[in-house]
Amino acid sequence: MVNKSADFVIVGAGAAGSLYAAILAKAGKSVIMLDAGPGWILGDLASSQIWARRLKWGGAPVEFRGNHHGFGHNLNTGWGLGGAALHHYATWPRMHVEAFATRKLYERGQDWPIGYDDLRPFYDRIQADVGISGDAQAEIWRPEGAPYPLPPMKRFAQGRLLAAGFEKLGHPTAPLPVGIVSQDYKGRPACQNDGWCDAGCPIGSLANPLATYQAEAAAAGADIRANATVKRILPASKNRAAGVVFTDAKQQERRLEAGTVILATSAIQNPRLMLASACPEWPNGAGNAADQVGRNFMLDSLALVYGLFDAETEPHMGVSAGQVTNRVRYAGDRPPGTPFGSYQWQVAPSMKPSDIFGMAISRADLFGSELSAFVTRASHHIASMVAMIGALPDPTNRVVLSDKRDHFGVPLARVEHKVDDATMTLWSHCKDEGVAVMKAAGATESWTGPYNAGHLIGGTLMGDDPATSVTDSFGRVHGIDNLVLAGSGLFPTSGGISPTYTLLAVAMRSVGVLLR
Amino acid sequence: MAIVSRRKAIAGIGAGGAIGLGLLAFTDQGRTLWRTPEEARKAGLGFKTLDAGEVATLEALGETLLPGAREAGIAHYVDHHLAQPSVDSLLMIRYLDIPPPYLNFYRAGLAALNGFASAKNGKIFGDQDAGNATDIVRAISSPDPAAAPKDWRGPPASIFYFVTRADAVDVVYGTEKGTEKLGLPYMAHILPETPW
Repeated sequence: MVNKSADFVIVGAGAAGSLYAAILAKAGKSVIMLDAGPGWILGDLASSQIWARRLKWGGAPVEFRGNHHGFGHNLNTGWGLGGAALHHYATWPRMHVEAFATRKLYERGQDWPIGYDDLRPFYDRIQADVGISGDAQAEIWRPEGAPYPLPPMKRFAQGRLLAAGFEKLGHPTAPLPVGIVSQDYKGRPACQNDGWCDAGCPIGSLANPLATYQAEAAAAGADIRANATVKRILPASKNRAAGVVFTDAKQQERRLEAGTVILATSAIQNPRLMLASACPEWPNGAGNAADQVGRNFMLDSLALVYGLFDAETEPHMGVSAGQVTNRVRYAGDRPPGTPFGSYQWQVAPSMKPSDIFGMAISRADLFGSELSAFVTRASHHIASMVAMIGALPDPTNRVVLSDKRDHFGVPLARVEHKVDDATMTLWSHCKDEGVAVMKAAGATESWTGPYNAGHLIGGTLMGDDPATSVTDSFGRVHGIDNLVLAGSGLFPTSGGISPTYTLLAVAMRSVGVLLR
Repeated sequence: MAIVSRRKAIAGIGAGGAIGLGLLAFTDQGRTLWRTPEEARKAGLGFKTLDAGEVATLEALGETLLPGAREAGIAHYVDHHLAQPSVDSLLMIRYLDIPPPYLNFYRAGLAALNGFASAKNGKIFGDQDAGNATDIVRAISSPDPAAAPKDWRGPPASIFYFVTRADAVDVVYGTEKGTEKLGLPYMAHILPETPW
């Protein structure tokens, strides 16, 4: 076992880990960032939905117990440098003000220890750093903040048709805000609207970590290592971490000492690693004295809606995230009779013929010549949209350790998760609303997809009370001075929005504290 | 930041994509050959994991699921990826949280399909006429577990249907050639090394 030390060891080279690495390395700190998966470079990102599967989870299996089959862990996580953000769609809205205080406002969920105003300057800074394309004025639901630095993305026939459908029903729309540059920006070229986001964007128009913060981290001297699987966190004492043990690319076990350990893997792998680090100093796992690690794991729910039109829809054009959005807040300003909750419509995503969000799968019941005929028609006439439905914390939805172990000897993670009735009511509402929009837009046929889940949230909540949370508002683990968590696992509510922009804002707010 | 310049600017794939990663490797008299699934089928190249009966069943199923899948090489495509470590497999099954090795799932599914077909009318799936093959696939296609056929003995029928249907769609439409046949431009930034 070889010892080495660094000021900061970061576990997980995704969006949050890369931001931490960039800022710490630029501040002159020694940083080692470890990731279990391969060392992708932008040139690896071949334009193929088949090849895109290499970028999805390839590590230890995750077990699941629940009341639905729409988990999709492997699809919703990443594998290798860049993490899930390497293939994410870069839908980058800001969290609603209300989402930070659902307990206070609606007596549901758990409040964040911070509010929107605490994150606002970091949202502003990140969008200036990375570039977001959108129209802040058109987003009447958007919290206050600096206008977007770039104009909206180009709109194609599908987006125009569906936006008209929303407007006809009196539902306002706006261009979907995306972390994709609509014009050349800070050395990154404008998007070409060819819909390959899911396969990774090799030209760097989409703000994947390899094109943004990870590139900055590497340039500032951060030591970024792929194929390095962290197996446990080492204690120095009850209140301090000493470092980590990992297996390197040559399958050698190594020990790495660190001034501070930052866990920036997924909302499942972070608690898995903490629980698997149980030892005499931490008998219930690292940071788990109050039995909160792994609890309150959340999944956003997805309502998929499709339509066929007589008109050409250009479904292959645009970006995977969509072209248009409509967002509904929590209960406060909802139309009477609308179920409680929060959701965001992502309207008119680009579609390929194959793969999990492709044209053929939208009618999974068809096969044979009917399938051929459908795909042929859909190639020019399909339109689609998806509602991302937010989740609230429930301590019985959790990540625990399985009795089985991976080939490194680390127990597998098991997710125990049930979707509650209120969420399913809202899911049904969204499907009905989506079909109504399709009809208003002129669809000759419309239909909905099965239940699906996306976005892994929670499991290691931030909060003021150590009895109901795992970290403080800066991601510092209660009771362990130099163990920090990053990522969407910290969120006490999901807000029904894509989490990447917010997890970056949380990370940027937190990293400053480490430099004080 | 090593930004890749515009569309099709890079002919090869970088560090993570060794040459031929998109092609299937076959050994012939000690030589390694790289072929697309379609080329492999045309050349009659051998299989690494599936036996002759499984290949015949998978080809018949693929063709029932999506005309053209047999010729496009569905059996070679699936066989190749089942021979890879699960982390390198590019099959849709990777998305479904089914524990590897994936060969177990396919092998059990193909056997279950033949068992179900035989229970229905005394013939394995590959020997069914087109009408009966369609009826059998329809019977396993419902996502409702309560609608699963009683004589099915294997992994969940609807998931087996979903996975193999996705494989058929991959080989027929997931390629540059298949996409362009639909009248859609492929518009690759970086072309995969083979038009799967």
